[in-house]
Amino acid sequence: MSTQERIEKMLKKAEVIIAAGGEKRVAKQHESGKMTARERIAALLDEGSFVELDRFVRHRCTNFGQEKKELPGEGVTTGYGTVDGRLVYVFAQDFTVEGGSLGEMHAAKIVKVQRLAMKMGAPLVGLNDSGGARIQEAIDALAGYGKIFFENTIASGVVPQISAIMGPSAGGAVYSPALTDFIYMVKNTSKMFITGPAVVKSVTGEDVTQEQLGGAMTHNSTSGVAHFAAENDEDCLQQIRYLLSFLPSNNMECAPIVETGDDPMRIEESLNTLLPDNSNQAYDMYTVIKAIVDNGEYYESQKYWATNIITCFARMDGKTVGIIANQPKVMAGCLDINASDKSSRFIRFCDAFNIPLLNLVDVPGFLPGCNQEYGGIIRHGAKMLYAYSEATVPKITLVTRKAYGGSYLAMCSQDLGADQVIAWPTAEIAVMGPAGAANIIFKNDPDVAAKTAEYIDNFATPYQAAMRGMVDMVIEPKNSRPTIINALQMLESKRETRPAKRHGNIPL
Amino acid sequence: MKNYTITVNGTAYEVCVEEAGAVAAAPKAAPAPKAAPAPAAAPAPKAAPAPAPAAAPAPVAAGATTVSAPMPGKVLSVNVKVGDAVKAGDVLMILEAMKMQNEIMAPADGTVSDVRVSANQTVSTGDVMIVL
Repeated sequence: MSTQERIEKMLKKAEVIIAAGGEKRVAKQHESGKMTARERIAALLDEGSFVELDRFVRHRCTNFGQEKKELPGEGVTTGYGTVDGRLVYVFAQDFTVEGGSLGEMHAAKIVKVQRLAMKMGAPLVGLNDSGGARIQEAIDALAGYGKIFFENTIASGVVPQISAIMGPSAGGAVYSPALTDFIYMVKNTSKMFITGPAVVKSVTGEDVTQEQLGGAMTHNSTSGVAHFAAENDEDCLQQIRYLLSFLPSNNMECAPIVETGDDPMRIEESLNTLLPDNSNQAYDMYTVIKAIVDNGEYYESQKYWATNIITCFARMDGKTVGIIANQPKVMAGCLDINASDKSSRFIRFCDAFNIPLLNLVDVPGFLPGCNQEYGGIIRHGAKMLYAYSEATVPKITLVTRKAYGGSYLAMCSQDLGADQVIAWPTAEIAVMGPAGAANIIFKNDPDVAAKTAEYIDNFATPYQAAMRGMVDMVIEPKNSRPTIINALQMLESKRETRPAKRHGNIPL
Repeated sequence: MKNYTITVNGTAYEVCVEEAGAVAAAPKAAPAPKAAPAPAAAPAPKAAPAPAPAAAPAPVAAGATTVSAPMPGKVLSVNVKVGDAVKAGDVLMILEAMKMQNEIMAPADGTVSDVRVSANQTVSTGDVMIVL
């Protein structure tokens, strides 16, 4: 064979692999509103930056006639490229090849990019679209999942891991995304469940559609499994690019600094009049967030779940911050099981990746009730205390209004290591709701009404805490942005160490 | 298992009755009327509540939107009455809970078909307060 013939043979082989499942299956993929694996990678990465690895990998299964089957690219396309010029590793399962099913060598391709991502300190994006394990490969397929889960865990906290569900993801396949930092789901086309509707029906008798059981909005609003919902493939991939713009490439770096053009010293007069005079009336915490961050721009994780707390990324003076904020408009902004879960995981992500935490506090307490107690609000709420205490990134707490009891501690009071505690004059930092407290103290007093009013005036304020130095400063609301940016700049050189240990034991 | 056709207010319901073990041995003939308050099978019209309005947690007609209490608290005021047309986001009532006057908003457009609470009443999580 001449050199020229050898080159041509290679090109022909590549052509077959790039054609993936063939015209018919590709057309079907498009009909169902989905892009192919290669189209997705092209849309995710900077134009022309994708470098493919392991194109010629082939399965070695000899069961049930599989040895005669050619599965182009092993049903997954892997490699690296750039997003906004920064290195990113990627794998995209190819539904047109044997339903994107995962076999031994398919898994090996994924594991390779996982390891490369860790070694190079670059984010890993997984685009999932797979029918599940390739059953013919039996426990080789099962072991493949296991290896991927292991690498997901080892990479956790080393590089950001992002999963997009862009088709089915069922059974064991759901756990690789679940181990990563963020899950995107595409509306209508993505499904995630441990067992599908048929098994659910046979075991429990419940009649449920795939969409109800594990659709994008089910996991975005009911289960809290997913963090972001996308309208379609294109939207999903653009959103992933947007998320990456807020994140550092690994745990040793800081997030990229973006020139936002917003004046760091901007005074926001509207904040002085935002709060209602009656502290029992709600207001929208998003107004506060929009007023203080650069250009009012933020990107919210888990926007539809546990909406009594807000978790989002934003920039202040061009630098990424992670915001955790109580939302008085929803369930009074109280902390419950889901809010604790949601915020704790977000706090730990930010801490792992050097993203400073900004806590906006207006919290009346933990939600009372049997379902909360039976559901274990004690161990869930403890996660917040743990996550904040453990975090060594800069922590800034701004108390806008209520900060009562244990729930205030759970929102990162000074005792849990907040580096700066800033309060508005409307802050009510107290051991419990002032009316309740007065009822206990003046229980037998004939003049209980007058005494209660007096107590509220004295104790539902920031000054009891400020007198003890538990609040660093009380400021006019309009000065919030410059004050916080000043604090962030001051905290840039923060160093805090913890005792050496194998790892802590967070109450899970 | 036995199939019955039960007519309530002129509407026929197909009801399937299954005997749960040997426990209810005595009133073997009785099960038929009992099945009536739970017409889960057919698309139940709203006319159903007529026979037994006294029963405490009245079933909600299929397809209706319910507004239930997000947390335990006390009803401060109800802003709507049966027959009012509401739009998604309209404030239906104020629920005082967690030291806050929480605005309870309509989750969707619709017409108020039932108001089950009144001012000063206490509710617990999940209680249906208003039906659209």
